[in-house]
Amino acid sequence: MTSALEDQLRELAPRVLGALVRRYGHFDTAEDAVQEALLAAAQQWPTDGVPESPRGWLITVASRRLTDLLRREQSRQRREERVARWALQGEPVADTDDTLVLLFMCCHPALSPASQIALTLRAVGGLTTTEIARAFLVPEATMTRRITRAKTAVREDGSRFTLPADREERLGAVLHVVYLIFNEGYTTTTGPSLQRVELAAEAIRLARLLHRLLPDDPEVSGLLALLLLTDARRPARTGPHGELVPMAEQDRARWIPELIKEGVDLITATLPHGPIGPYQLQAAIAAVHDESPSAEETDWPQIVALYEVLLQLTDNPMIALNHVVAVAMSRGPAEGLALLDSLENDDRIAKDHRVPAVRAHLLEMSGDRAAARTAYEQAASRTTSLPQQRYLHTRASRL
Amino acid sequence: MKYMILTYASQQDYDGMAGKDSGKPAWQPEDFAAMGAFMEKFNNDLIESGELVETRALAAPVLTRRFGSKNGQSVVTDGPYAETQEVLAGYWIVECESFDRATEIAAGLADTPAPEAVRATAYADIRPLVEGRDELVG
Repeated sequence: MTSALEDQLRELAPRVLGALVRRYGHFDTAEDAVQEALLAAAQQWPTDGVPESPRGWLITVASRRLTDLLRREQSRQRREERVARWALQGEPVADTDDTLVLLFMCCHPALSPASQIALTLRAVGGLTTTEIARAFLVPEATMTRRITRAKTAVREDGSRFTLPADREERLGAVLHVVYLIFNEGYTTTTGPSLQRVELAAEAIRLARLLHRLLPDDPEVSGLLALLLLTDARRPARTGPHGELVPMAEQDRARWIPELIKEGVDLITATLPHGPIGPYQLQAAIAAVHDESPSAEETDWPQIVALYEVLLQLTDNPMIALNHVVAVAMSRGPAEGLALLDSLENDDRIAKDHRVPAVRAHLLEMSGDRAAARTAYEQAASRTTSLPQQRYLHTRASRL
Repeated sequence: MKYMILTYASQQDYDGMAGKDSGKPAWQPEDFAAMGAFMEKFNNDLIESGELVETRALAAPVLTRRFGSKNGQSVVTDGPYAETQEVLAGYWIVECESFDRATEIAAGLADTPAPEAVRATAYADIRPLVEGRDELVG
């Protein structure tokens, strides 16, 4: 399948699913039917040509499939139970884009973040179960079970094709899912390669989609800006052998100027309109980094200030750790090390490889080579990512 | 998208509504008036929201004629339905936002005032209407 066709199908997937669920209901079965229609398109269009109305074609094929699946699946018992659930609910259906409704359905609070991600990638991203399984390095059977369970949970909760009442809360989950998809693509937690570009690209596509649907939400804009500004550094983040290159040593000429400009413009336009949220602040921090000509010339005091606002909004140990780094860069390694001590007692992060990694860097900055070496080795023993292990061992052996 | 909401009743139900005792309890005149008032409001609300395309009640099953074929000959028969068999009693065609919204409208019918025995087993179907032959095979 060509990437143009792939893009086209991904773009169409949520709209076809939306149309089907809106017309006929049955989110879980409709979702299977759409996947099958997408596969049929991927096989037939390259040889038969793209039909005149691709969306209409997909809706027709998916509807046909839905009829087949429903006939096979439904026992009378289950139908009756479903009807009984219906009569009890009564909030009005909002006039809104189908894709947005789908996103909210996939980020159902009854689901674990892992299931929310899997369902979002399938229903809104149009990725097949095989692709999602490959991206998250789990066996396909595991991913199939996870998606099936997720769809059942959504159905059993009586989810309806409408924006949920807890929309504001659920938008937080939607943004978080997109953010997690990006992170998994940007810094994979396991396995041989450091980045999975296709996941990062999918997250950016979803963030753009959200931004188009909710252009006035400052956190949606903040998230999109954050992803663009982070992704802009991608070409410089890995060396010729796939090794991790830390930001201070990256060749900034390789950063992608179009993405930086788009991200900076977006966050600059968003910040004055508030209310300020964590994604906007992280985007602002990323913008300071991206606009700085070198690591030394970075406006560290401004970054420290932004992290301090961020820490008031979120109790996140990773942000606290980044704050430590910024403080060390701004006021010297001794102050950074002092702050780091308080994080060592935070259960959520104490066992993570990043704490000794930051400690190692700060010790190296302050000239304590022996202690730095020990800390690098401790960090290497804690990470499961091979490129990160290689990087940390290299740092240790240099000392 | 247009949807058809269908409600069902047997000849017995129609007889009951007409005040006859037919194995199911007879309606009192005030029961019937309450139902009429409810339906009037139900329909007006749908007109108000712009979602009503059309609604009709069908006459009692006993008044039905069936046209069909027998051994290649056209045949017309009277009253094809058994007393107890539920057949179409009325319908609404609504044009609305989604299948969920059409279901919501139909669910409103659950509040129709009627004798308890009638309410206990009442149901309605919601079916998407097709706009052309393509959708019919789709």
